[in-house]
Amino acid sequence: MTQRRGVRLTVNGTPYEALVEPRLTLVDLLRGELGLVGTHVGCEHGVCGACTVLMEGRAVRSCIMLAVQADGASLMTVEGLSPEGQLHPIQEAFREAHGLQCGFCTPGFLMSIYELLQNERDPDDEAIKDALGGNICRCTGYQSILESVRLAVAKVKGPPT
Amino acid sequence: MTLELPKSPDDLPVSSPKWVGKDVKRVEDPLLLTGRAEFVDNVVLPGMLHCAILRSPYAHARIVSVDTSAAEALPGVVATVTGADAERWARPSFTAPEGWGTHCLAVDKARFVGEPVAALAATSRYLAEDALELIEVEYEPLPVVSDPMASIASDSPLLFEDKGTNVMYQRVFTWGDVDEAFEAADRVISDSFRWHRVGANPLETFGVVSEWDPVAEAITCRGSFQSPGYFALGRSATFRLPPNKVRLISQPHGGSFGGKGGGRGTDITIMLSRKAGGRPVKWTEDRMEYLVGGGSQAWDRFYEASLAVKNDGTVTGLKVKLIDDLGATAEGFGATGATKPMASFTGCYAIPVAQYDLTLVATNKLPASPYRGMGPPPHNFVLEQLMDIAARELGIDPGEIRRRNYIPPDRFPYTIPSGNEYDSGEYEAALDTVLEMGDYARLREEQAAARAEGRHVGIGLVSTIEPGVFDWNAYGVIGQKSIGVPEGVTISLDVRGKIVARVGFALEGQGQYTLAAQLLADYFGVELDDVQVIALDTLSAPPHFGPGGSRLGVALTGAVLGASHRLRDKLVRVASHLMEAKQEDVELFDGVLRVKGVAGAEMKLWQVVGAMLMRTDLLPPDVDPNPQETYVWTAPGRTQPDEQGRAKSYLTAANACHLVVVEVDPDTGQVDILKYFIADDCGTRLNPATVEGMVQGGVAQGVGAALLEEYVYDDEGQLLTSTFMDYLLPTIHEVPMTEKRPLVTPSPFTPLGAKGAGESAIHTTPAAIMCAINDALSPLGVRATEVPATPNRLWKLIRDASDG
Amino acid sequence: MKPPQFEYFDPTTIDEAVSLLREREGEAKVLAGGQSLVPLLNMRLARPEALVDLRRIEGLDYIREENGALAIGAMTTQRTVERSDVVRERLPLLQAATRLIAHPQIRNRGTVGGSLAHADPAAEYPALALALDAEVLAVGPNGERTIKASELFLGYLATALEPAEVLTEVRFPKPPADSGWSVMEVARRHGDFALAGVVTALSLNGGSISDARIALFGVASAPLRAREAEGLLAGEKPGEALFAEAGRHAAAGIEEPLSDIHASAEFRRHLAATLVKRALAEAAERAGAR
Repeated sequence: MTQRRGVRLTVNGTPYEALVEPRLTLVDLLRGELGLVGTHVGCEHGVCGACTVLMEGRAVRSCIMLAVQADGASLMTVEGLSPEGQLHPIQEAFREAHGLQCGFCTPGFLMSIYELLQNERDPDDEAIKDALGGNICRCTGYQSILESVRLAVAKVKGPPT
Repeated sequence: MTLELPKSPDDLPVSSPKWVGKDVKRVEDPLLLTGRAEFVDNVVLPGMLHCAILRSPYAHARIVSVDTSAAEALPGVVATVTGADAERWARPSFTAPEGWGTHCLAVDKARFVGEPVAALAATSRYLAEDALELIEVEYEPLPVVSDPMASIASDSPLLFEDKGTNVMYQRVFTWGDVDEAFEAADRVISDSFRWHRVGANPLETFGVVSEWDPVAEAITCRGSFQSPGYFALGRSATFRLPPNKVRLISQPHGGSFGGKGGGRGTDITIMLSRKAGGRPVKWTEDRMEYLVGGGSQAWDRFYEASLAVKNDGTVTGLKVKLIDDLGATAEGFGATGATKPMASFTGCYAIPVAQYDLTLVATNKLPASPYRGMGPPPHNFVLEQLMDIAARELGIDPGEIRRRNYIPPDRFPYTIPSGNEYDSGEYEAALDTVLEMGDYARLREEQAAARAEGRHVGIGLVSTIEPGVFDWNAYGVIGQKSIGVPEGVTISLDVRGKIVARVGFALEGQGQYTLAAQLLADYFGVELDDVQVIALDTLSAPPHFGPGGSRLGVALTGAVLGASHRLRDKLVRVASHLMEAKQEDVELFDGVLRVKGVAGAEMKLWQVVGAMLMRTDLLPPDVDPNPQETYVWTAPGRTQPDEQGRAKSYLTAANACHLVVVEVDPDTGQVDILKYFIADDCGTRLNPATVEGMVQGGVAQGVGAALLEEYVYDDEGQLLTSTFMDYLLPTIHEVPMTEKRPLVTPSPFTPLGAKGAGESAIHTTPAAIMCAINDALSPLGVRATEVPATPNRLWKLIRDASDG
Repeated sequence: MKPPQFEYFDPTTIDEAVSLLREREGEAKVLAGGQSLVPLLNMRLARPEALVDLRRIEGLDYIREENGALAIGAMTTQRTVERSDVVRERLPLLQAATRLIAHPQIRNRGTVGGSLAHADPAAEYPALALALDAEVLAVGPNGERTIKASELFLGYLATALEPAEVLTEVRFPKPPADSGWSVMEVARRHGDFALAGVVTALSLNGGSISDARIALFGVASAPLRAREAEGLLAGEKPGEALFAEAGRHAAAGIEEPLSDIHASAEFRRHLAATLVKRALAEAAERAGAR
């Protein structure tokens, strides 16, 4: 009989419980069991960053984490960025600066950027690149993403005081 | 009937276009940004099973037996399929060239590592992968050939024994008196080049959910299909079903770049669903499956090429010999990538004669697929290297030699030796633009200063053509015989004057729904939000192709404008009847139907549509009450290939000129891209921001091809790059942020003057980077001719030269 | 790409972890951050019978300064190290090396202990530990012991840790005064595993080199100290020719350079020589040499 473990976690402020095989990856828990399908799977070996979510405020790759490793944790996924449907300033910036094309990698980028902007109020280009080096986009060539982040920084900071 | 469509945005029925030609925020984005787009892996259907595929660990092996009984005994495993099922239910895949295909599951032997051998459907993907380990296959390994040169040799193991050869195709196309040109040349510039396999790698792999209806004997598949209509035809042929029994629903997909693949996986899930009594079966290709067995690989090429040149730099002839390794079968249509270069064979240059010696070879490697650009990127790399070598030998600046050979603006439309016709172009203007952007003279000074310090700085300057709006005739010589690629749109107005456009393709990233909305909003004088674009399944949609071949922007523009014309004509007939005016006196302008010259005599869209739908008693007798019209656009004037393969194939010829500065570290072999300037001319820009995104995305893929990406096989046909740890996609650190400037030379042949614009940089960037690297290396007396120019290769090249 | 089945344990004490490992006689693996292990599970290349997850064991996540030495708990993430004020002040080399590890998302999960125990030959931390004469603490069935870095790394993904031992701490000794350092690597892409990398620390005394440490990574099946090159430097005045000579010696000392599709053995050897030369120059500059 396959061993199963109870996992309790909070995602986007909502508590969840699930009984899972220990081998279930976190992204498969989020997508398959909890129905949070905005987090995408691109490589399942921790290189592309499409599956990036926040755990305790830190950007992590949910494809190379086991669900059981997130037991007790508080997570945030792309669905948590705009709970009422209103785009988050980072999302607004992506739309205005054309920071996406196919949009498959985008949720992962958004979560990495969310963490960056939590930690740094005014990151320079090098800091932005460092934060996004682990997110692969095959469409945009990154220029519009860099511009989107600059715009998001401006939006989050607000007008100069 | 082919309609006369507006030649320019100024011809739209609006005082001044509010959306077309503007940087418009994409209508697709809110859905994508919030993670709500229904990518295929999000699809869950009642009773759905999960497929896993067992793949050959051998590059070439006879399959002695396949035993699935232990897997079937595992609780939760519902169905298994093997080559025997494929042989019973399905035909071998259609291929180009014809007759080099196999079934979706290996029947008698496996021909490449990763070829599907058996598959099963279980209640979860985890369980399915467990069960795969219980399938027992007895293989009898056969000799492997993974090198195309060895494959051509008479003693090579054969992929298809009945063919008696591994050469899938061999032909020499001669356009003009090439021998004479080379005899009369002052110099002949020749070299050999190697372009290693690269490929698409969209961030989303292929996925499908298939249902077999056992009662109706019909198929429904949801998947990330790039070309749904054609993919449906393929399934229809494979399963010997009439086309109206095959319904494909294309989900939004996470990129494609031509390399989505998915034929075998779809067919396998269809058979599994059939065995499972019609339960839906999902297969999500994982990344390792994609790399080893998907639509992931393209362009595995050996070139020998020559230019005939006069001492003044005039190029008088071009000869290219290509051996292209297509892998185990021709199922992936990789061969089209070897024929497409004929659409822009001589690049931007007025080279009068040319020859193409083309050999397509089978080896025990993954069948090659299309990839963005569809073949010319390696060809352009070869041609542009030869131009640079000629410039260096003749002591002419690389910009100057190109300038002397450009097709001048007054010679368009211009037919190149290989038969295609270029619509328009201002190549010298693009060159001058990029030289000015980069301050070329100063760059050369800076380079000289760097060299004096012992640094290896190089400048690459390259001009290319992006053939746009593909037609099948471009691939006619390898068996794609038809002409015409339809793109249909159905548009309708509702009682509030809002618009729905129905298309046959799903979201893929190019912003085409936004384009349709822009066109319709301007045509009918409404807001962008008043237009809704939806994708229909293949049995509901008008004939369509979808994204591909640098075509959809132009084709969709034609389709939308055609349907709009038809709907406008209908509205005019109704409105003129209602307003008791002559039809010819009523026009649609700025969103109202108005009587010309009569102030205040007008009807709003919703009034006309309201009458059509709710007051049919008021309608003229010859108008049906349906405010909906369809138009299917295809490129006009395409021709059959002649005896030398010459055809008018791609409708438009966009042009780009790239200027790039690199520095090579001779001790580490690393290449640093210091500056990058682009002048890009794709005719009328319908949404300039999305065009810029297409260009920059192509730069990234070009950087990957030039410096990072490579599929490596060993002698036993084992893929050594089966993860993203080894197949290296560029990240934000490797891709240069480029400076771009548009030029606009409208196409005289297309609606609104737009040209195909999705591929320009992938055609140009690899060539530009390689030219820059070779400029940097020129003081060392070496030249890189192998792509990608990896650190190890560059270091070895430099070291071997200094040793010698 | 789904992991095979395994049993999962998340003990709350080290002793419990050790006894779980001992009971399974080498068929169980320790799970720390999982950034190397879980990909291998997904590919079914690692097939442990059981995983023993250390995440619930308290007291393994710390960075402490002890008499100038730094003691870092095994479950401390690389990200914590990267952002630590103590690390930045006391051992900036460690911070610089940490920033070369993959990407922030990996460093958010990857742990110090996991990296050392996994012993990837191309990883930064093992080489750093080797260069700085660090020690690790390990707890096993026979209690706690100290293992010197020079005795820890045995070969490709192989360490001196017993199957039932858990690495709990790494201690970096106080660096000598007036020392400079450098960590450099060549990778195909930013954040990739190094084709070759070097960690150096140089101390100067009266303008001469009093102490030199050179450790290479990415070039052989395990990280290695370039002792001969270090010996060459001792007592000498820093200079380009000397550093080039040290580079050649360090490269020559690699007995069996790795060779793969990204870099041949001879290229790796050349990279090692180049990087040693460049890193020594940078370290000397940081140490105040002119």
